[in-house]
Amino acid sequence: MSPRPQIDLDRRQLLQFTALFGGAAALAACSGPSVSSDVSGGAATEAATDWASVTPAKEITWWSNHPGASRPVEEELIRRFTAESGINVNLVTAGANYDEVAQKFQAATGTGNGPDVVVASDVWWFRYMINGQTLPMDQIAEHLGFDTADYNETLYSDYRFKDAHWAVPYARSTPLFYYNKDAWAAAGLPDRSPETWDEFMEWAPKLAAGGITPLGLGKGTSWAAWWFCNFLWGRGGAYSDEWTMTLDTPEALDAAKFVQSMIFEDRVAAIAATDNAVDFGAGLTGCTIASTGSLTGILKAAKFEVGTGFLPAGPEGPACPTGGTGVAISADRTPEQQLAAGMFLRFLTSTDSTAYFSSNTGYMPVRTSARDSSIMAEVYAKSPQFRTAVDQLETTRVQDWGRVFVPGGDKELTTALESIILQQGDPATAFATASTAIQRSFEQNVEPYL
Amino acid sequence: MEQVTDTPVVSGGPRERTGHRSPPSTPAAGPAPRPVQRRRRTPWKAWLLFLLFAGPNVALLVIFTYKPLLQSLYYSTLQWNIGSAVAMPVGFQNYADWFTDPTTPRIIAVTLVFTLATVGGGMVIGLLLALVLNRRLRGTGAARTVVVAPYVLSGVAVGLLWLFVFDPNFGVTAALLRLVGLASPDWYNDPQWALAMVIVVYLWKNVGYVALIYLAALQSVPRDLVEAASIDGATSLRSFRSIVLPLLGPTTFFLAITTLLTSLQSFDIIQAMTKGGPLGGTTTMMYQIYQEGFQSGRAGYSSAVATILFAVLLLVTFAQLKYVDRKVHY
Repeated sequence: MSPRPQIDLDRRQLLQFTALFGGAAALAACSGPSVSSDVSGGAATEAATDWASVTPAKEITWWSNHPGASRPVEEELIRRFTAESGINVNLVTAGANYDEVAQKFQAATGTGNGPDVVVASDVWWFRYMINGQTLPMDQIAEHLGFDTADYNETLYSDYRFKDAHWAVPYARSTPLFYYNKDAWAAAGLPDRSPETWDEFMEWAPKLAAGGITPLGLGKGTSWAAWWFCNFLWGRGGAYSDEWTMTLDTPEALDAAKFVQSMIFEDRVAAIAATDNAVDFGAGLTGCTIASTGSLTGILKAAKFEVGTGFLPAGPEGPACPTGGTGVAISADRTPEQQLAAGMFLRFLTSTDSTAYFSSNTGYMPVRTSARDSSIMAEVYAKSPQFRTAVDQLETTRVQDWGRVFVPGGDKELTTALESIILQQGDPATAFATASTAIQRSFEQNVEPYL
Repeated sequence: MEQVTDTPVVSGGPRERTGHRSPPSTPAAGPAPRPVQRRRRTPWKAWLLFLLFAGPNVALLVIFTYKPLLQSLYYSTLQWNIGSAVAMPVGFQNYADWFTDPTTPRIIAVTLVFTLATVGGGMVIGLLLALVLNRRLRGTGAARTVVVAPYVLSGVAVGLLWLFVFDPNFGVTAALLRLVGLASPDWYNDPQWALAMVIVVYLWKNVGYVALIYLAALQSVPRDLVEAASIDGATSLRSFRSIVLPLLGPTTFFLAITTLLTSLQSFDIIQAMTKGGPLGGTTTMMYQIYQEGFQSGRAGYSSAVATILFAVLLLVTFAQLKYVDRKVHY
């Protein structure tokens, strides 16, 4: 055996060690956030910047995940903007999805290495706001002459809090009902989506007789709790009433039980192993609920004719959430960079750019003028499926705060829903656990900052 | 008695290191008086040399290891939304929250199962592979390369690759099971199967490392000992159990520590394959640190979990050094 090392510190060494440790601890405490027992008012304010006296920067950076495989579309829009304004835009792939972009954006804040423009999805823009990471848009939009009245009102209002807008709509989507027209025809069903879930339940056995799973649903964060809004709201329930969780209501429990019975009792629905849109495109399921942003991909992948329709209504009527992403300006930049970023957003969400983006991706046109433009009219004529999301917009509503505004809200709801739809867990227990966690997160991570 | 030397001594036990020798003492004389020591001064050239060689490494360790470690410790006492410029001091509340959270027992259980399966399984399979590869057979060289190759691959790439293998509709496992009339397990939707899946993939990727280290150790086992035992009538199994295995003790000890530390910190395969799901069935403590810090934005809480994991790793390593090290024959 080799001799065992002994730790034999004398007084001087002990003092040196203590000083080293203390110094390092002090160094650690020096960086990071400023600490205070009062953290309210964390959101950035519209400081009275005299935008007229600011000269826009010549170069800005945009962090995007290129929703709907839109990188070539975004590059083309940047090329057009640079040709028009002389401002260069560095397009950075900051993640594969909204969550990954958000994680990097949060980590980069305060380092000076963040973007000037960042995508701000439905579950992230609020967090950016309370953290003071994004700029309120109203003053700069007014200065630059954004035609904000032309934005779809629901989509623009999604970013409103404390009498200000914290992003502008960009790649906005809703869930759509996709169906396999061949399977529909084989089952002798009319060529349309079911108007209600009750009607779907009547149709499902005919589809199942054809040897396919009638309905495919997805799981995972940023997804399961999104499509479940349709069932939840359609039966009169909600995740929350502003900051108060309402998952213990009979309506909410009824919605969960209905979905559960579709899967485990009636066996007319199944949860996809990985991607329900891929399973649908491969012909494994007769219909599915997927984002409008998946439309182009599904149309390319499917070897059958694809139909789209509104999400089926519940007993309380039609219900559809909005989703997707807006774009926001970082608060952590110079006025010159922010002004250039504002000019870019004005261009990116202009009528022509919106129509170009929507026609190439399937995302909804966020401007009324773009929706009614000749470009979109051609698209609707060629592929009527694109029209469905636009028409369905009338039935959409802003999402419940408990899911999209509370850190971890979507994750907790996803865990509850996965318990219900994967393991036939008791909805009351699953929802109670999620509600407690979300309420605590609100009290710790939101309330003090408001 | 005073003895001072100007020659720096850099090796040896603690006494030798000081360069002085205690005088012999007798019971009649009682305890010898403590000699007066004068600290010898290290020549400035020696300091310069030390700084030149060790300085960059020490600086990197301080900047990228010790400072973040201490920062994490500090953040664990804060209520801090990552990205926010302000935070609230909350003392040990984050720790109290973790220990009382209803999901914590599940996360501990998942972490334990994953760690025991990957460390234990990895050691056993690695040793068996090393024993096979240690034989002088045709194609052993190619087999060694094949076994070790996955270890050098990126964890994310491995995870994505195995996603296809385990796909219950289109995957290889499903196809093989269909051949014998069985349905594929629900790898992605059942928490237990999902955990089994990531364990299998982790083992596939990392077992080559264990096999490689064991192979090197096996090749240093003196052949004469094994041959002598054989002449004395010992069976192969007896030789392995009584000679080879004890001689592999230091290697086993080394591997136990390194694979345990790696396993407890594994992230990439889980992120690529299951993202901690379904139902948190593959959420280890390491993955929870990421989820809480970057998905939920709770940097203080996440730092508290990181500190707890750090303490666990420290305790386990110390326990291994203290208790297991004594049983190893060098």
